[in-house]
Amino acid sequence: MKILKLLLLPYMAAVIVGAFLWPAPAQGFIGESSRIVFFHVPCAWTGALAFLVAAGYSVAYLASRNPRHDDVAAAAVRIGLLFSVLALVTGSLFAKIMWGSYWNWDPRESSFLLLVFLYAAYLFLRAAVEDPERRAKMSAAYALFSAVLMPFLFFVAPRVTSSLHPQTIINPQGKILMDGPTKAVFFGALVGFTALFFWMLSLESRSASLDRAAAASRRI
Amino acid sequence: MNANDAASFSSSVSRLPSSGSSAIRRAWAICAKDAAQELRRKIAAASIFFFAATAVTLVSFAVGPFGLPPEARDRVCSALLWIILFFCAATGLPRAFVREEETGTAYALRKVVPSSLTLAGKTLFNYVLFLAIAAVTVPAFAILLEWRMGSAGALAAVMVLGGYGLSVVSTFLAALVARASQKNVLFVVISFPLLLPLLLSAITATIAAAAGELPATPLRVIVAYDGAATCAAYLLASAAWED
Repeated sequence: MKILKLLLLPYMAAVIVGAFLWPAPAQGFIGESSRIVFFHVPCAWTGALAFLVAAGYSVAYLASRNPRHDDVAAAAVRIGLLFSVLALVTGSLFAKIMWGSYWNWDPRESSFLLLVFLYAAYLFLRAAVEDPERRAKMSAAYALFSAVLMPFLFFVAPRVTSSLHPQTIINPQGKILMDGPTKAVFFGALVGFTALFFWMLSLESRSASLDRAAAASRRI
Repeated sequence: MNANDAASFSSSVSRLPSSGSSAIRRAWAICAKDAAQELRRKIAAASIFFFAATAVTLVSFAVGPFGLPPEARDRVCSALLWIILFFCAATGLPRAFVREEETGTAYALRKVVPSSLTLAGKTLFNYVLFLAIAAVTVPAFAILLEWRMGSAGALAAVMVLGGYGLSVVSTFLAALVARASQKNVLFVVISFPLLLPLLLSAITATIAAAAGELPATPLRVIVAYDGAATCAAYLLASAAWED
């Protein structure tokens, strides 16, 4: 496991170098702006994955009442928010270059912003409850309730109106419209960001567990 | 808990059907208890209607004198109407659970009634309250803004289905925030992102209803949302409400 973590640094470096130097810029995009897909989409993917992990650990908490599961769920939400904000920032930079404005109320960017609000509210809810056990239970209930209604944000709202978003990955044909090098770097970045997320999750949840133990010892 | 609250609660609980009675009757008893409490303290219900009246008047003062271009009228009025209804709901619907905590009756209610039935009863009460708010707000809004509705039946369908989703989600979240600090602010913060898909569909459906069309697609989305929210609320009721 430690070797994998050590390998992640050169791997991510290779992905970044590849993203800027290997594939040619995609046609139909201004300048080099298409290269942002190697960072923007993995950030969005990692954010969504983090929220799914949070939902999974929320189920585990409600089933077992093990506080460690609550630590992991809360850590996943915090990291998911970080990646989601990065997805919004990179998306806004792309929007400024391509469409002339940082924010265009495109259904997909709006639904992603709402996702950020939704999980920021999760952190507000946690902060508003003092008792750790009650906080864990309420947070798990909210995370699961949100997970059930999340598809309406992701799959329904963006399809009610037309989108400005490029259709390279999500499109009616159900195909990934990329050439070989672009596809290689893109999936390489997805794997790298996913591995980075799980590493950050293990660090953050361990830190949360230590904080919980310290708080418990202070109460004693 | 003051003497009046204790008396009203114990008499309400004693009227609950026995454990062998059907779940619907027990949920109905919770709804009736909430309605009796709300009617006893008329100021609470009246304040929600006063809030709605104030919001409608404010919107009509802000928009009415200038008029709206005909092509934007349905869109703007639909959005404003649902914004008013959302904030009315945020003002009134969380009270269902918050009141139990404030009056000290929550513990007894948890012991007497299963959480899913408590949630069902309070959702029913909130739904009736929402429909009453809508029944007053929508005609007042239409009159003050001189907004003609193409299909009143379609609008009624949007209110009935959209109001149900709003009530289910608001009641569930009210159970969550009942024991948190800063309840009112927290309720708005956590409910807005969850309710937005419903509100967007309701606004789209209201625009179609105003144009005299049947809003089939947004109504289907609202029905799916209502179903998903009901199932999730039922399954998570004990986690949200019980100790």
